[in-house]
Amino acid sequence: MAAAQPNRLQHGGRIDRSRPLAFSLDGKAYTGFAGDTLASALIANGVALVGRSFKLRRPRGIVGGGAEEPNAIMQVGEGAKTQPNLPATQIELQQDLVAHTTRGWPSVGFDIGAISDFFGRILGAGFYYKTFMFPRSFWNYYERAIRLSTGFGEAPASPDPDAYEHMNAHCDVLVAGGGPAGLIAALVAARSGARVILADDGNEFGGSLLAGADAIDGAPAMDWVAGVVAELREIPDCVLLPRGAVLGYHDHDFLTLAERCVADPRGPGDATRRDIRPRARERLWRIRAKRVILAQGSFERPLAFCNNDRPGVMLASAVSTYIHRYAVLPGRHAVVFTNNDSAYRTALDLAGAGVKVAAIVDSRAGGGGALAAQARVVGIPVLQGRVISDVTGKNRVRGVSIAEWSGDSWENVTSTVRIDCDLLAVSGGWSPAVHLHAQAGGRLDWDESQLCFRPAHASEKQRQSHDSAGAGNGRQSLNECLTDGLRAGTEAVAKLGLEPAAIKAPAASSAGEAPIEALWRVPAERDADRCPKQFIDLQNDTTVADIRLAVREGYRNVEHVKRYTALGFGTDQGKLGNINGMAVLAAALGKTIAEVGTTTFRPVYTPVSFGTVAGESVGGLYDPVRKTALHESHEAAGAPMEVVGQWHRPWYFPRAGEDLHAAVARECLAVRNSVGAMDASTLGKIDARGPDVVKFLERIYTHNVGRMKLGRCAYGIMLGEDGMVMDDGVMARLGENHFYLTTTTGGAANALNWLELWLQTEWPELEVYLTSLTEQFSTIAVAGPNSRGLLEKLGCDIPLDRDSFPFLTVREAVLAGMPASLFRVSFSGELAFEINIASHFALDMWRKVLDAGREFAIAPYGTESMHVLRAEKGFIIVGQDTDGSVTPVDLGMNWLLSREKDFLGKRSLGRPDCLRKDRRQLVGLLSFDQRTVLPEGTQLIEKTGRTTPVPMCGHVTSSYHSACLDHPIALALVAGGRARKGDTLFAALPGSEPVPVQVVSPVFYDPKGERQNV
Amino acid sequence: MSEPAPHRHGLEAFFATAESTPDARVEIGVLSNRGFLNVRLDPRKQQNVRTAEQVLGQAMPLVANTYTSGRHRVYWLGPDEWLVETGAGDAATLGGELTAVLAGSGAAINDVSGGQVALRIAGADARTVLAKGCTLDLHPREFGPGQCARTGLARATLLLAAADAAPSYTIIVGRSFADYLCRWLAHAARPHGACFSTR
Repeated sequence: MAAAQPNRLQHGGRIDRSRPLAFSLDGKAYTGFAGDTLASALIANGVALVGRSFKLRRPRGIVGGGAEEPNAIMQVGEGAKTQPNLPATQIELQQDLVAHTTRGWPSVGFDIGAISDFFGRILGAGFYYKTFMFPRSFWNYYERAIRLSTGFGEAPASPDPDAYEHMNAHCDVLVAGGGPAGLIAALVAARSGARVILADDGNEFGGSLLAGADAIDGAPAMDWVAGVVAELREIPDCVLLPRGAVLGYHDHDFLTLAERCVADPRGPGDATRRDIRPRARERLWRIRAKRVILAQGSFERPLAFCNNDRPGVMLASAVSTYIHRYAVLPGRHAVVFTNNDSAYRTALDLAGAGVKVAAIVDSRAGGGGALAAQARVVGIPVLQGRVISDVTGKNRVRGVSIAEWSGDSWENVTSTVRIDCDLLAVSGGWSPAVHLHAQAGGRLDWDESQLCFRPAHASEKQRQSHDSAGAGNGRQSLNECLTDGLRAGTEAVAKLGLEPAAIKAPAASSAGEAPIEALWRVPAERDADRCPKQFIDLQNDTTVADIRLAVREGYRNVEHVKRYTALGFGTDQGKLGNINGMAVLAAALGKTIAEVGTTTFRPVYTPVSFGTVAGESVGGLYDPVRKTALHESHEAAGAPMEVVGQWHRPWYFPRAGEDLHAAVARECLAVRNSVGAMDASTLGKIDARGPDVVKFLERIYTHNVGRMKLGRCAYGIMLGEDGMVMDDGVMARLGENHFYLTTTTGGAANALNWLELWLQTEWPELEVYLTSLTEQFSTIAVAGPNSRGLLEKLGCDIPLDRDSFPFLTVREAVLAGMPASLFRVSFSGELAFEINIASHFALDMWRKVLDAGREFAIAPYGTESMHVLRAEKGFIIVGQDTDGSVTPVDLGMNWLLSREKDFLGKRSLGRPDCLRKDRRQLVGLLSFDQRTVLPEGTQLIEKTGRTTPVPMCGHVTSSYHSACLDHPIALALVAGGRARKGDTLFAALPGSEPVPVQVVSPVFYDPKGERQNV
Repeated sequence: MSEPAPHRHGLEAFFATAESTPDARVEIGVLSNRGFLNVRLDPRKQQNVRTAEQVLGQAMPLVANTYTSGRHRVYWLGPDEWLVETGAGDAATLGGELTAVLAGSGAAINDVSGGQVALRIAGADARTVLAKGCTLDLHPREFGPGQCARTGLARATLLLAAADAAPSYTIIVGRSFADYLCRWLAHAARPHGACFSTR
């Protein structure tokens, strides 16, 4: 099949020629080899065009060899597993891989050139803001058209079948980057006994060594890499994470890392198979490291010259990568353009692979160092003091114009000659990958000799726990990188208090280099905005002219210019063009690059899929489902569940053919007329005891806790410091210094925290212990006139009659053979008992209650009926009838407020605002028409009419149809409501006429409370 | 009184249906018939500790995040809070004895047997599975037998203890979270192969 790959070299590369892989791009079939990336396989097949640009629709080709690739952005896979926004340079080729270009509507090959030429004039910097602003209402249409015509890939339309997972890890030393510096740093750390994690976003360790023909200690450098990796694999506390991209460096040396768990970008392919253990597609590592060594290498910069975006213009280092690592030739007739020595190596690589290198164009008048001499020896023409002034060819480079150059204006550009070529390898110098260093808060220094931002050394005061090493630390030669990596690893283990292992720095050959010289933009014949485009950011089509225009329009700050020109946005986050853009900006502002500075480096370093972020927390594991001990029985009974916080509570218990309303009506009538049973286990329960417990509870609750007799229960409320009702519940006095408190379901955790807050921080002198018993006890409420008979039938070892066991008392008992606490409390207004029983017996108790209740036609009832029953009695629910702005006085609970003691919130109740006569107060409402159930939240108004604004005097907080009263009831908060009983108000309903309602007492049923007291 | 009701942990249905895979590298088990006491007392009053230890028949851990083993397991939960793990049938008696001997000391003993579920996670990949949802460093050097911690696993709060170097871990979790936690553990253990046990 190799014949089908015209640009494949016969020998070399880290590919497996025995494993050909068929794949397709935009429906066209190709073949590559195992070990290829999609990008290298496309180059092997002579595919030059991989997309069209964002704004200007210009044809684009592969530029880079890694994470910096701006153009070859692919949609990979099909159906639910499709993934957008993957750079072809990082997609490991697979058999039957289906890829699509994402940036080529209507198609990559079809050139709507007229459009691009026309729009090229108006799509300058800030074109979004200028062109599409008016009329404003048209923006939606504009944006849709822009998105469609550029395309950034598509999200899958159906759920992802693959699994993703999270992994927490701790280590002594995290090494980010597995090139020469990272490898030796990890080796010294691991040999010294440190727990090491070594991560690299590539599928193989080696970094820059994968792309060259370097030697270490006289042998091929990759042999050294293999030796180090093999040794690290054998060390138990060393974790190697190839395909692991460190995404973010967060506070306190917490780092996130995305690992592609399988080589195939389409996922493991076994998500639905039951015969094998499913692997995760991607894994998010959450790493806490004691020391971090950042060795992520550096990115080569392109150069800015006219038509520098033509397919076939590539980074010099990428060209070397394709030759050495993948054995493919990106061109046959090459020109190299550089302002530094590293590109000479690429020229030599090209020549060595049999490519005719027509010229090395070096902008430096003095030319290069030792490598330049080698180039001359092999017969490559070296043109010093010259630049590429323009590129010809549209879908592929066909030639370049070379000019002499002696200064930064067109007058200094002379003697232009044209040379034919199909590949232009460029190098504008190297930018250390300082992203993580900057995210960690590290400063950057501008290095004027190497023309790059490099990590600043931490001052003593900073005491940062991260260090940079190798090319990412501004080191250039392989020797320097190895030495620097060894230093960083040694220092890291020394700072951990370990004895650093003695390792001799491996030696690599190095050539004497001539220094880089600045060339941020090649001068052009006309102004930057009139000459052929000189691109800075290829992904966003940001040009030199755009940046200059932004400055002319008044932008000064680099962050503003970024947002106005889109420089540095997109999937590559400006890894290629940012520094060049800042240099152009600095020149336009008449400042130095150091003065202009960089934009902020933020996580994430490379794109990460949503699945990875979500991890296991999807579907049924999205949030915990808290189940009561009776859950199984409720499910078997077919009860729909209501989600209350994380609890799942039975909502109602429908019988065949019943809907919610029918079931609730039946359940409510059963409670009123015979007996019902409810699972109230989710109520918060707190055991409070200690010598000072009375003193403590007196301060928390509003009523006179100390006056409660042993065995008595009382309804209590607690207020915030602002005097507003915070939580409520029944409490029981079990002993002299022993109370049992209950709270609302939703407020259980908050209430306990509130009590502990006061106990631990304000009144630590009080001897009180609080223990949550929410999980320990299940609560079965048995309510209705026949509840006593039911308990007697179950078999109870204590007398249950009114005099022996009166309302609002608690008794320990053996019920149905099981120990239980019985509370004579009622949330329905009926004679009722709440059975508190250890949760491991609760299911049996519940079944016995329902069994014994059969002769009373007992109805299990859910949360909905509970709401109706309590509303008929005017009992509030904190959080439904209150909203954090309601005082007990507003609720008519003055009787609960002790005058004899202080309690939290008491003073606030005396504030003028709390004494206003027109505060909203709890009332009941009746619809005059006897049938309208007002929607909860309905606003109440004084009168009908169309004059606006309409003053609102209250709102409905609870509203139900009452089966036992056979009409709707509602609770509401109404301004000055208690004094307005009998008044008529109107409920404002959307889409219909206001409904007249009468203000009444909030107690609709049994106002004297006789039924619960029998 | 009729015969005593069975002691239900609520995971009967989960473990009845969970499918074990061959060559499992993780074992997920529920420990049946465990009893638990929550003990609050002021250890600055040394007499309190000595009194409790006499009834327990073993030392109370006073070092943070450790537990002692003997007739019972006694876990340190806080500077003045412990959890005693014992047999389901023994909790009530033991709680009564402790309450009696510590009367007047301000101590609070609560039987919380109904509110806790004890799980056992063991096997070659147990630590890896736990690390998917727990932010603690579970390396044996940092968290070995004798150590425990109240921590989070997935989205549940629980007590995690290193039971032995096998490795095996004990998880004691509020019963309302137990079903969620077991479903999460089973999911997280899928790539490693899981077997399920009740004992």
